[in-house]
Amino acid sequence: MTIAEARPPAVEPDAPHEADEVHAIAARGLRMEFGGGIVAVDGIDVHVREGEIFGFLGPNGAGKTTTVRMLTTLLRPTAGSATVAGFDLYRQQLAIRRSIGVALQEAGLDALATGRELLKLQAQLFGIRGRDAARRAAELLELVGLVEAADRQIRTYSGGMKRRLDLASALVHEPRVLFLDEPTEGLDPASRQTVWQEITRLNDVLGVTVFLTTHYLEEADRLADRLAIIDRGRIVAEGTPHALKASIAGDVVTVAVARERLEEAQDLLCSLAGVREVRPDEAGLTMFVSDGPSVVANVIRVLDGAGVPVGAVAVAQPSLDEVFLRATGARLEGAAAEGTVTP
Amino acid sequence: MTAIASGTAVAAAPWRLWREALRAALVLGAREVRTSLRTPAYLLPNMIVPIFFYFIMVGSLEQFAGDAGVDNWQAFQLPVAIVFAVQGGSAGLNMVADIESGYFYKLLLTPAHRMSILLGAMSADFVRIVVQATVVVLIAVATGLHFETGIAGAAALVLLSSLWGLAYSGLGFAVALKTGNSQATQSLWFMFMPFLFLTTLFAPREALSGWLSTAATFNPMTYLLAGLRALSMNGWDASDIGGALLAVAGVGVLSFTLALLALRGRLR
Repeated sequence: MTIAEARPPAVEPDAPHEADEVHAIAARGLRMEFGGGIVAVDGIDVHVREGEIFGFLGPNGAGKTTTVRMLTTLLRPTAGSATVAGFDLYRQQLAIRRSIGVALQEAGLDALATGRELLKLQAQLFGIRGRDAARRAAELLELVGLVEAADRQIRTYSGGMKRRLDLASALVHEPRVLFLDEPTEGLDPASRQTVWQEITRLNDVLGVTVFLTTHYLEEADRLADRLAIIDRGRIVAEGTPHALKASIAGDVVTVAVARERLEEAQDLLCSLAGVREVRPDEAGLTMFVSDGPSVVANVIRVLDGAGVPVGAVAVAQPSLDEVFLRATGARLEGAAAEGTVTP
Repeated sequence: MTAIASGTAVAAAPWRLWREALRAALVLGAREVRTSLRTPAYLLPNMIVPIFFYFIMVGSLEQFAGDAGVDNWQAFQLPVAIVFAVQGGSAGLNMVADIESGYFYKLLLTPAHRMSILLGAMSADFVRIVVQATVVVLIAVATGLHFETGIAGAAALVLLSSLWGLAYSGLGFAVALKTGNSQATQSLWFMFMPFLFLTTLFAPREALSGWLSTAATFNPMTYLLAGLRALSMNGWDASDIGGALLAVAGVGVLSFTLALLALRGRLR
């Protein structure tokens, strides 16, 4: 970097990107290829509407964090275009950073600072001066329930407290778009509930657009207005949680079968009436059927007749896990399935 | 809250951006100083080692100094102790800690110019260096050292040696930013040892011979020590002090360039 390159950038063009004015985030063909030909994100399109909570659901290594790092100006995409808060990702990075709040996967905090010091510094870096910075820090400490711990060093905070502080630091400048990368990763259930409430409140009360990555199905289902499912760098499904689940018309029947009889059982069940698809996974078989209760009796009869021991049979409405299973061939919270049999 | 559709960048004149960059550097520098004060285990050894070295060298080699033609051995050794003080600390360690904790990326997500992060860390390091150099000088004076150039010379010595420490610290920041590894950053201290010994550490340049004399000629630290010794024992010698300033400038340009390249590499 030369000194000339290192100087503060010239005044940025102040017109928002024309085509994406109605979207808080609009990305087209976004791609990130690292050295050695590793493609972390493979040409995805993402459109997040203003004021919505958009979930980005996928397993570890699917490309969620890389996408967040690109959209928040930390990583320069290999290809594609994007606007964030109406600003171009390549030409208006400073304007983007002024408009977004980010809580990364690892709560990046200064362990030797106190909570109050950290928030005040963050406010100062966003151009809030003197007493206003101190006042803003106090407001945020109140907001995330850390008033009592405000003057303790962050290294003494619990994981949940650090997450809440990180969230507060992302809000210091009242951003229009909030990026939350795995915000509840590693938290106990109580802390997770607190963070969920806070995200919902920010969206409801302040109208903040939220881009949330997660690999927790419940989190995506509960928080997201719309979501995209990403696997191996590609978006494999997108819609509201309700619509995605409804796309699997009918019920899901899970059958616990011993691993060594899995293939045989899969063949037998595929031929049953009302069965659309049978997929194996670690726990046994997952069947996508038109009417669960009517199929169950036949499942037990057929397997029993063939001498295949059945551990348990359950009927349920489709969940996002089934959506993920159907789209990718693997369960989000389990091992990959190895084959699919469609009658 | 402003609608996304009406989002506009805050237009600012270049001078204002510069002012904001400097303000951010100041805020970040203050934070670095606070961090250093909260880790005395990092500061104290950097303070104790040069003082210990100074007394050992003064006490044990005074006889040798007379044989080598050095009249004022205390004043001759003070710059060596000072160089230990200003270079001894491993610059960039706080930055490595920030990289490891992820806080570095949090800073990158603010509108603060990325150069401000480096400048803030360097300015805090400069404060640490000045304090350490001052303490060594005060202790030397308290134990009988007389400055030929008086108080002004002592202040100039602190300033010159601190500028050297700042210039050298650029290498520490370069390694910190390039590797993000504390061990690699700390190991820079060992690189400093050959530079110190391949120079006029124990004897004036005229007393050196053979390959050591050649090595000393190409070692910028030789010129730094000459400038510092002019201030501590000879007087206001423009040639020696000018040579030291050139050495500082040369090392500074090299190390800052490396640090900026490393910063750019980390931002890719």
